[in-house]
Amino acid sequence: MAATVVTESHDAHDDHGHMETNTGMSNNKLAMWLFLASDCLLFGALISTFLLYRTNISDNSEFEEPADIFDIPFTSLSSFILLMSSLTMVLTLSAVNRDDERVARIWMLTTAFLGMVFIGGQVFEFTEFGEKGLYYSTNTWSSAFFTLTGFHGVHVSVGILMLFGTVFGTRKSGLGKEKSETVELVGLYWHFVDIVWVIIFTIVYLIPIG
Amino acid sequence: MTATDTHIDAEEHHAHGHDDHAHSHPSDRTYVSIAIILAIFTAVEILLFVFEDDINRSINKIALIGLMVIKFYIVGAYFMHLKFDHPILTQLFVFGLILAVVVYFIMLSAFEFNFWNDGFCDTGLPAELGGDDFFANENCST
Repeated sequence: MAATVVTESHDAHDDHGHMETNTGMSNNKLAMWLFLASDCLLFGALISTFLLYRTNISDNSEFEEPADIFDIPFTSLSSFILLMSSLTMVLTLSAVNRDDERVARIWMLTTAFLGMVFIGGQVFEFTEFGEKGLYYSTNTWSSAFFTLTGFHGVHVSVGILMLFGTVFGTRKSGLGKEKSETVELVGLYWHFVDIVWVIIFTIVYLIPIG
Repeated sequence: MTATDTHIDAEEHHAHGHDDHAHSHPSDRTYVSIAIILAIFTAVEILLFVFEDDINRSINKIALIGLMVIKFYIVGAYFMHLKFDHPILTQLFVFGLILAVVVYFIMLSAFEFNFWNDGFCDTGLPAELGGDDFFANENCST
């Protein structure tokens, strides 16, 4: 009787060790993708607002165009660091799927570290803007810029907390294959933050006005 | 067969399922290759920015947006595993993406969106709706 119960219990699980669902995939994963799809609308609104005000940098400020205040080499380095953090994140999941807990923790902490370097760069950039006289309320360009990049920074910060939460929250239970889905969900969020920055970096920093 | 034996069989089946899942994803080497490609695309983007004065402005913009879309696709398809996962996840995400693009493109069009030329010009809307010279650009023809 006991054997029958155990067998039935496992028959109802999929490859990831989760209960079967109508869609044939984990509800958690579906929910994460639904959240990411909805987050597209949030960033869509912020990017559109920035596009509306992208020519207004000269209002109430000494800057004629965004190129006067941007430090493209520095921001390019930040972008590269965030891009490489996506690589370390995907290597984390790969290590978890191999059941290589030690390597998974190293890659995950590396991802968090790279994320913190990116945030540090953003704080530095904001501070530089302030020293040059461009604040949140200086003009509509600065309001839109700080809101867009600030919201992205908050997303990265939440991602860093998720990474640390996963690393330290699994000290006792381990970070093996059974945690594959948890790591995958954190990874999905992290990669989303990365692709949003791919868009912001191009539209805000690289594409010239006019 | 005891209950314990059955449980162990089930665990092995469970573990095997994970192995199958792991094999369906690219290898670490592939991931590193993809990251190198992304880094190269980023370098090309920066070069396009540096030499923007030497390149036709429209071509420069199209190239930058093209590279952005390719990078977006690569990260989504390979790093987020959309290429290997259930198609419904791709459909869900693309739906959100298209919805966002369409909604905000319509919104920007309402403000006489002229991204490819002069920025934003006078909307012609009444002042209480953000019209007059609120969005006017010095390059706009009046």
